[in-house]
Amino acid sequence: MKKGKWTIIVTIGIMSFILVLVMFMQFKVVEQTDIVGIENMRDTELREALADWKEKYEETNKKLEENRAKISEYKEKISENKEVSEILEKELEEANIILGKTDVEGDGVIITLTDNDEKTYTYSNILDLINELKFAGAEAISINDIRVIGNTYIANISNRYIILNNNNKITSPYVIKAIGDQNNMQSNLSIKGGYIYVLSGNGYTINMEAKKKIKIYKHEGELDLKYIEK
Amino acid sequence: MNKKNVCITLGIMCFLLTVAIIIQFNTIKNANMIAGQGGVSTELKDEVLKWKEKYDQTFKELEKSEEELEIQRESASNNDLVSSEKQEELKLANILLGLTQVSGRGTIITVEDNKNVTSETIGALENISDYMVHAEDLWMIVNELKNARVEAISINDERIIANSSITCEGNVILINGNVVSSPFVITSIGSPEAIIGALDRPDGIIDFLERDGVIVNMEGKEKVTIPKYNGIIDVKYIRNAD
Repeated sequence: MKKGKWTIIVTIGIMSFILVLVMFMQFKVVEQTDIVGIENMRDTELREALADWKEKYEETNKKLEENRAKISEYKEKISENKEVSEILEKELEEANIILGKTDVEGDGVIITLTDNDEKTYTYSNILDLINELKFAGAEAISINDIRVIGNTYIANISNRYIILNNNNKITSPYVIKAIGDQNNMQSNLSIKGGYIYVLSGNGYTINMEAKKKIKIYKHEGELDLKYIEK
Repeated sequence: MNKKNVCITLGIMCFLLTVAIIIQFNTIKNANMIAGQGGVSTELKDEVLKWKEKYDQTFKELEKSEEELEIQRESASNNDLVSSEKQEELKLANILLGLTQVSGRGTIITVEDNKNVTSETIGALENISDYMVHAEDLWMIVNELKNARVEAISINDERIIANSSITCEGNVILINGNVVSSPFVITSIGSPEAIIGALDRPDGIIDFLERDGVIVNMEGKEKVTIPKYNGIIDVKYIRNAD
């Protein structure tokens, strides 16, 4: 009888020990599973990074080939002793399109900001929008048909006027045209927490439409440099 | 009676043990799957590194080709007046686009997160976020600098070009798609008097940031240097409509 009791106690003791051990292992694995969550996220991040680098590589490679073609064009002209104003003209045109010295057209979006009884747009609202559009890959932007170029600034002069570039006063409704990837621009602005989502949630009047063949006018005025040493 | 009790206890324990073992097996199966995925990650990492290297190398070649192109262009156009004029114009265009390193008179503005404060040391009504520099602050400073007619701007090593944006993703600030962090050194070329006058006025951007607790320093310089844009300017959607 006494011997039997001992056996039972020992058996139960061993079993409890094993059970506790198994439970600890279990806990450890659960912890690991959390790490796996991050590891998985990293995987998708890695995939994004991979796509980014591939795209950047392809862009660079394309540009490199273009440059090489131009170099051999110039070399050819030099050896034939011919003038190169035509090639230069082509290169200038490309630069001027980007600088805003020509009228441009293409597909894009038109966003209209209108003051209402409760909410008035300030210059910082417009400044934000331009930043967001550039982030979403807009290639040309205008505000009330004034081209936004590299040195365009926006400032408040009163509640009713916003000043743009030199002396262009603009007022509501503000019509912002942007040419670029329509899907990218639309989704960037309208996602939860995005520009349109936040402003319209706060009672501002805002409207966006995708449009084909938008025309954006060129920048009026000279672009010259006084302080950069040449 | 006593024997029956022992039997029931043992029975329950055996049952629990079985359940625990089954769970354990299942988890081990999962764990194996995890190990497999780990393998994919390293492969993917290698792949990312491979493409980054390819890009870096191609970019270096591209820079070399830019220099070569410049040389050929110049020597091809110095024989006739029309071409050499166009060549000068193109040179100016490339400066304006941000494709070259530039220098001249200007200003260096440094804005920095205030690290002397923590959530514990500030007042209950204050927000620690006020003491940090945000993407919007930098964008605002860039706008003010343009208002002061500067001709080139960079923040840390990033040249601000026409289609640059300054945004944040979580805690990091992105310029031209690259991460930049505090302290932010904003270099600009233009009249130092005009720049300091425009920025350092009551209720101006610097005043606003300083009142918030951000550390700001600004000084005019006889010569500053601004790097060229470290990427490719390419358009896919706009066409000439002249």
